[in-house]
Amino acid sequence: MSGLEIGLTGFGVMLVLLALRIPIGVAMLTVGMAGYVTIAGENALFSYLKTETYWRFTAETLSVVPLFLLMGQFAAKAGLSQALFAAAYTWLGHHRGGIAMAAIGGCAGFGAISGSSLATSATMGQVALPELKRFNYSGALATGSLAAGGTLGILIPPSVVLIIYAVMVEANVATLFQAAFIPGILAALGYIAVIAIVVRVNPEAGPAGERATRAQKWAALLEIWPVLIIFVLVMGGIYFGIFTPTEGAGVGAFGTFLIAITRGGMRVNGFIEALLGTAQTTAMIFLILLGAAIFNAFLGFSQLPITAADFFGNSGLSPYTILFGMIALFIVLGFVMDSLSMIFLTIPIFWPIIAALDFGMSPDEAKLWFGIIALIVVEMGLITPPVGLNVFIINSMAKDVPMIETFKGVIPFFASDIIRVGVLIAFPTITLILPRLLA
Amino acid sequence: MSEMSTEHTRPTDPVGRVLYQVSKWLAIFGGVVLSAMAILTSVSVFGRSVLQQPVPGDFELVAIGTGISVFAFLPWCQIVRGNVLVDFFMSTAPVRARIFGDVVGGILYLAIAALLTWRMIFGGLDMYYYNELSMTINFPRWTTFPISIAMLGFLTIVIAYTIGRSIAEMRAGRYLDKPDTPA
Repeated sequence: MSGLEIGLTGFGVMLVLLALRIPIGVAMLTVGMAGYVTIAGENALFSYLKTETYWRFTAETLSVVPLFLLMGQFAAKAGLSQALFAAAYTWLGHHRGGIAMAAIGGCAGFGAISGSSLATSATMGQVALPELKRFNYSGALATGSLAAGGTLGILIPPSVVLIIYAVMVEANVATLFQAAFIPGILAALGYIAVIAIVVRVNPEAGPAGERATRAQKWAALLEIWPVLIIFVLVMGGIYFGIFTPTEGAGVGAFGTFLIAITRGGMRVNGFIEALLGTAQTTAMIFLILLGAAIFNAFLGFSQLPITAADFFGNSGLSPYTILFGMIALFIVLGFVMDSLSMIFLTIPIFWPIIAALDFGMSPDEAKLWFGIIALIVVEMGLITPPVGLNVFIINSMAKDVPMIETFKGVIPFFASDIIRVGVLIAFPTITLILPRLLA
Repeated sequence: MSEMSTEHTRPTDPVGRVLYQVSKWLAIFGGVVLSAMAILTSVSVFGRSVLQQPVPGDFELVAIGTGISVFAFLPWCQIVRGNVLVDFFMSTAPVRARIFGDVVGGILYLAIAALLTWRMIFGGLDMYYYNELSMTINFPRWTTFPISIAMLGFLTIVIAYTIGRSIAEMRAGRYLDKPDTPA
């Protein structure tokens, strides 16, 4: 067999293992090691494995991941979701559909200090669902907006998925966070516009809330000062290059820890819960990172990524046809797997292909632009059936809403995601302007 | 992602209970190390910006510290079934078929963890004999190998236990520590 055939076979075997419910990290390690031995021999593998685990877990580029996860765990215990929702409510609540809009605003605020979609959905769901019910919002709109709003946790930096992408394509995390900022804000505005349209078509679905006075509005904003400080300190520090993403994550974890104690009433048990939550997610991600390292070393030997890039580069297809093909594949994969797994599986093949095509921008800018597009599209998998995790989380909290209603409810939000991806493809400047200005 | 799996599975047999407790305390230990790294970073950033005096080699220390945390986190993730998998294709399969996948995955993971533990012993010896030091603060790299290897070894034991648990579950035709419905 040629290297290429071994590479393709390896990919096929891995998909079979995944279908059998083998954890993705284990599947990548198994196929990666087997392929490595086939091409380079067992002595090469044994020698490679002596320190690979150590270097992978001790990489300076990766220590940012557990620190951001720890920060997100503390943020969830800081009692901020109530204040965020209340603040968004005083500003948006009096519009038709205003309570759902406030939920989106709260999600956006929480997303600015948390890198996890599921945590954003879960914490905002607890706060906003009872209010949406009190105002008689339709089950579809209530659960749909929270499931979609949760994706803002990942779309608005910090974002764990984006860090993993950065590591895989060797991009600068800080620059990617800059690039994600405006698209993230557009996502929140797009969701609010969706709610406005839904309630215009069907006013019953989302009545207006009470109007707040100007004094109440400012008082409510004052209540969310910890979020503002953490965001300005952490993301501002990273954006303006005052410190590295790892330092930002460390400072953010320490800051949210203090807020969780003073405001959220976190005590020893809560602290231990936060540590165990961080432990589980960190271990899950690093097992895949180790698997991806070995799997990608094997793919590199097999020449599959280069061959694929050559093949598509010389195929005569327009770059945009290939890009749309990838997006379609992401959406299909999103029906069956989670966003992180998708990034790990596809980027080692997709990025070399994109890098070899001409989109009228420098390779470094294409890296940012493609990363943000990929991020949005893989996150859409969180709200599509049959395994949309955000939908499951919100639906399990809203016991009276049938699952099918929630999936119907997310359709207009899904449509706004598609439109946003189209806009970002057509106008790369939206993504690239902030990194250019701050460079 | 399985980051929100709220129902922690908890073994009910004596061996499982011991392994569960050890994994849990190891994870808490790793979490405390990680928290210390967050504090170290904050001190260093503060020192650099206010006192013009950062903690020397802070990047290296943080990387080495988080590395120890990751090794400490792995057994916990395994015993609470925290590793992410694709449930879609088997979601309608009989529960025994689903658990069969757990057994196969467990055996593969066991072989991998044992191999990694074994090879890392030689990696540690290399680091010791060549006295490899970190770049800025000359931290001897071999020093964290013994504890990391011990934790990888413990992970191997935990995986062996979870395989046994899965086989018992195949016999029983149901999960022993959680409901049968897909997570």
